[in-house]
Amino acid sequence: MTQLELALQGKITQEMEKVALVENLAPETVRSLVEEGKVVIPANKMRQNRKIVGFGSQLKTKVSASIGTPKSGQEYAGELAKLAKAIAAGTDSVMDLSLGGDLDYMRREVLNRTELPVGTLPIYQTCMEASLSKGILELTPEDFIKDIEKQARDGVDFMGLHCGMTRRTLDLAKSQGRVNDVVSWGGSLLAGWMLHHNEENPLYTYFNHILEIASKYDVTLSLADGLRPGCLADSLDRAQVQELVVLGELVDRARAAGVQIMIKGPGHAPWNHLSATVQLMKQMCQGAPYFVFGPIATDIAPGYDHITAAIGGAFAAAAGADFLCYVTPAEHVGFPTEEDVYEGVMAARVAAHIGDLAKGTKGAIDMDIAMAQARKPWNVSEQRKLALDPSKLGADDAESMEGSHQCTRCSDKCSMKVINEFFDRPLEYC
Amino acid sequence: MTQAIQARRGIITPEMVKVAEKERLDVEFIRQGVTAGNIVILRNNQRGNVEPVGVGKGLRTKVNASIGTSPEHFDMDGEMHKLEVAVKAGADTIMELSSGGDINAVRKMTLARTKLPVGTVPIYQAAIEATDNLGGVVNMNADQMFAVIERHAADGADFMALHCAINHDVIERLRNQPRVTDVVSRGGAFLTGWMLHNQKENPLYEQFDRILEIALKYDVTLSVGDAIRPGAIADSLDRAQVQGLILVGELVKRALDAGVQVMVEGPGHVPADQIQATILLQKQLCHKVPYFILGNLVTDIAPGYDHITSAIGGTIAAIAGADYICYVTPAEHLRLPTAEDVHEGVIAARIATHAADLVKGAKGAWEWDLEMSKARKALDWDKQISLAIDPEKARRYRAESNSDTTKACSMCGDFCAMKVVSQYLGTKTSDC
Repeated sequence: MTQLELALQGKITQEMEKVALVENLAPETVRSLVEEGKVVIPANKMRQNRKIVGFGSQLKTKVSASIGTPKSGQEYAGELAKLAKAIAAGTDSVMDLSLGGDLDYMRREVLNRTELPVGTLPIYQTCMEASLSKGILELTPEDFIKDIEKQARDGVDFMGLHCGMTRRTLDLAKSQGRVNDVVSWGGSLLAGWMLHHNEENPLYTYFNHILEIASKYDVTLSLADGLRPGCLADSLDRAQVQELVVLGELVDRARAAGVQIMIKGPGHAPWNHLSATVQLMKQMCQGAPYFVFGPIATDIAPGYDHITAAIGGAFAAAAGADFLCYVTPAEHVGFPTEEDVYEGVMAARVAAHIGDLAKGTKGAIDMDIAMAQARKPWNVSEQRKLALDPSKLGADDAESMEGSHQCTRCSDKCSMKVINEFFDRPLEYC
Repeated sequence: MTQAIQARRGIITPEMVKVAEKERLDVEFIRQGVTAGNIVILRNNQRGNVEPVGVGKGLRTKVNASIGTSPEHFDMDGEMHKLEVAVKAGADTIMELSSGGDINAVRKMTLARTKLPVGTVPIYQAAIEATDNLGGVVNMNADQMFAVIERHAADGADFMALHCAINHDVIERLRNQPRVTDVVSRGGAFLTGWMLHNQKENPLYEQFDRILEIALKYDVTLSVGDAIRPGAIADSLDRAQVQGLILVGELVKRALDAGVQVMVEGPGHVPADQIQATILLQKQLCHKVPYFILGNLVTDIAPGYDHITSAIGGTIAAIAGADYICYVTPAEHLRLPTAEDVHEGVIAARIATHAADLVKGAKGAWEWDLEMSKARKALDWDKQISLAIDPEKARRYRAESNSDTTKACSMCGDFCAMKVVSQYLGTKTSDC
């Protein structure tokens, strides 16, 4: 049985207890959030090595990092090094979006090398393998479903599937006209197949099959938005909104089948669209967790899209987004390096935490208060412990500052010292 | 030629000039707005006596008052009295929504008696006539519906609410995500019943081109009706409503392409925190054409006070970008409004739109308040009364507790704050 089915029966599972512990919530609170569909616990039954992570309302906003081999081939070692880097940077989950080489091998390696929840986009494998053999347009609906089943059997915890991109959404994108038509890569491959065959989206038509697989392994569906806007100008157009309406209906069907589900979101969105975008999704999808990609709040800063995404992500999280997919400085520019992965995770974590402060997520403000308290007596080792990225507090140098009870910035003109004298309070170190 | 087609050809029409004068804006600004479709000018080319009114971006937020008979209550004089009251209270437009008695006569009389633009909802009459002549609303047929639309246009209706944006796709979504109150729009309910009974698509949707032809001929502004608007705050922003809005967007595009002036009707019942998203969504999905909202009513529990619930929602909505507000009277949800209800409804809606115009920066809005404040400082009662949104009420209230001769008011008497502070600051308070 899935976590959702167990929650519906009133059972508090080990997984719910673990989430409750980490989030500092009562296990019953977590159970009832899972029951309502507002929290998902992606935990494929086939996986052994795992850390349980929950995503959704009232929980800390989570971050996902994506890695994966390029089309050109077998960069396994490099991508696995990025995986290690993402984990070290503190990501909450990982997506393996490999395109080249032995995709089964790579996926299994990723699943073995991390305890974090792992997500995939099965259509990448279906299409990449077909492109090397019979061709993408020769795929059958069964082919798309087959890879979903295979990846579920391997232990993938959540899957991005473009089930809501119906013919109607494509027609709307065409009739209203977009600057960037379909920027979701999987979405564009699928759209090409649909238009060529003049068929409805097989992931929509065969959604019941997908539900059966998800139910069997307790795979959490992460319904991807094939029509997500690819630039600010296309935000909240009819195609995007139509897909969201369809996704809402699929959420209802997934829940009725006992399948855990979350929804992926944009993408590119102007700042003033963010709260409406999140609110609309929550309304259409009955409060399901929202997993947003950025959102990137301006189109003109290639090389800095970890920052544009952090700005949009913080605001989206504050408005209710639950899960941020990182964006690296390499976005729109090139293939991310290890350093880019690290920067991307850190920027997303900063954004998620800022969102948590605004949402009032349990424990968030306490972290800031503790940091402020540690700054007062200039307790560097404590600050390092509390910092989102401890390495930024420069290990050796900082120790020496602590010894001298003075930091290099102000030296003996320390404002804390001046203020403490004014308030007649002894300052421990300074 | 419609205003839109002329605007696109670079022609500045007398109607644009009049709107520009009233709004104290450059006429080229109006022409550009009409070209883009974010401004409409309400004026049927068959009407001689109409003062054109502009609605949309950059203009003062407008207020509509609705009047009309019901099948149980046909009182021509009574409705004409309400019309007078609404005009006097400062409504910018009138909707004539009669559904009882000699509907043609009420419409013609309304059009003759006011210079304000007049809107109608032809499906009401089509449904009533089908009930009388064809044995029921479900026996309406497409030709008969379009005949009524054409009749209203030929009579001079300046704008028409037409429930084009409900189809079986929307109804299916309504079925999939049940509501507390299903379809509260009366026209929407007629059509939904007709569609389900006859298992046919909505003719106003399917044969939208016929509507465009009529609108083009008479320069009737389409007000694409919100057939599926939520009737309870619990139903706000559900999938049926959003599906309907997507459909509206597609129809708006067709109207714009045809050179027909078009605006969109909106809810209804909306919790305060969803108003901004509702407006943004309409603007994004509907090519930023004017949004004409009913309310918004931000709570469901105040029957008898819905002029207030909608003034609150209307203010937020207008600040967020709504262009035109249909009044809601204290009688809403309870009975047909009396003349007094009409007056209260118009004033409440005008307060809401003006409060929003202050924030939107509509020309002249801020100056009005400034004038009032200066008159208060000067204790200039005549001026205060003439500047008041409802001068009669201001005069009556003052008269009821103050003698004509006193310059002070009965609130503070001699302990007037204005006076005390003026003395201290050495400024002048005349006559006090």
